[in-house]
Amino acid sequence: MWLYEKRLQYPVNITKTCPKTAQLIISQFGGPDGELAASMRYLSQRYTMPCRQIGGLLTDIGTEELGHLEIICAIVYQLTCNLTPEQAKTAGFDAYYIDHTTALWPQAAGGVPYNACEFQSKGDAVTDLHEDLAAEQKARTTYENLIRIIDDPQVREPLRFLREREIIHYQRFGEALEQVKARLDSKNFYYFNPEFDKQMLSE
Amino acid sequence: MTERTQMLKKINEISFAVNDLTLYLDTHPTDSAALNAFSKFSKERTNLLNQYAEQFEPLTSDCICPDTNNRSSSNTAYPGQRHFTWIDGPLPWEGGM
Repeated sequence: MWLYEKRLQYPVNITKTCPKTAQLIISQFGGPDGELAASMRYLSQRYTMPCRQIGGLLTDIGTEELGHLEIICAIVYQLTCNLTPEQAKTAGFDAYYIDHTTALWPQAAGGVPYNACEFQSKGDAVTDLHEDLAAEQKARTTYENLIRIIDDPQVREPLRFLREREIIHYQRFGEALEQVKARLDSKNFYYFNPEFDKQMLSE
Repeated sequence: MTERTQMLKKINEISFAVNDLTLYLDTHPTDSAALNAFSKFSKERTNLLNQYAEQFEPLTSDCICPDTNNRSSSNTAYPGQRHFTWIDGPLPWEGGM
């Protein structure tokens, strides 16, 4: 169950229309390392996660990612909400405009639609936590790529906040992986699949 | 900065602390300092959300109260009228706050 909170996790106040920037940032909505994939990854993996504590962490981080998705969408919306027909012709945004006007639709910067293949839910705690750690690093790199080429400080501020959250989530998932490993056989972490074989060493 | 913006900024900051401590406590559930900070900030957040709802509009469904919400007439289409206050105020993505 989720309840909505009527505020952004980090404020977005963009006054300058820029469809080109929007077309790049939309990748963090529906792209390969975007927030939609992040949220769906964690919220899908949590059901079979063998440690209750880590199932809880996946729920909380997956929930925060929904908030991040909302920040990204707010950025794209504010960059395009006052778009003129002339600005709609901007290279890169023009094709998007034809299909979606200025509505939000999850796609990558290159126009590829959002796809569940962007993430994995593999049913093995060690595998899934490695996937999560890699996902946070890929998202950090994407934010850094965006920050490197975007000059508008009103756009950069929320992107910097989101980048920092990737690092925190990486840290938390790293701790989660250590906790799982502490309950496996240190001589062979792969002796059984803690999710499928329902085995864990007692704490 | 208007009073509304200032108060929302405070709510954002305190909520960030609560959220970040939640993730930390998920993996460190017995950390005493973190538990103390969580209790303190979580209480402050609840108070601020209630204050904001009384002065402006509710940010969560738990703060909806048609009888006490929205004393400010600038954020509602129904000033002075008993109504469902959840629909009052700007949408989060509109900006300008």
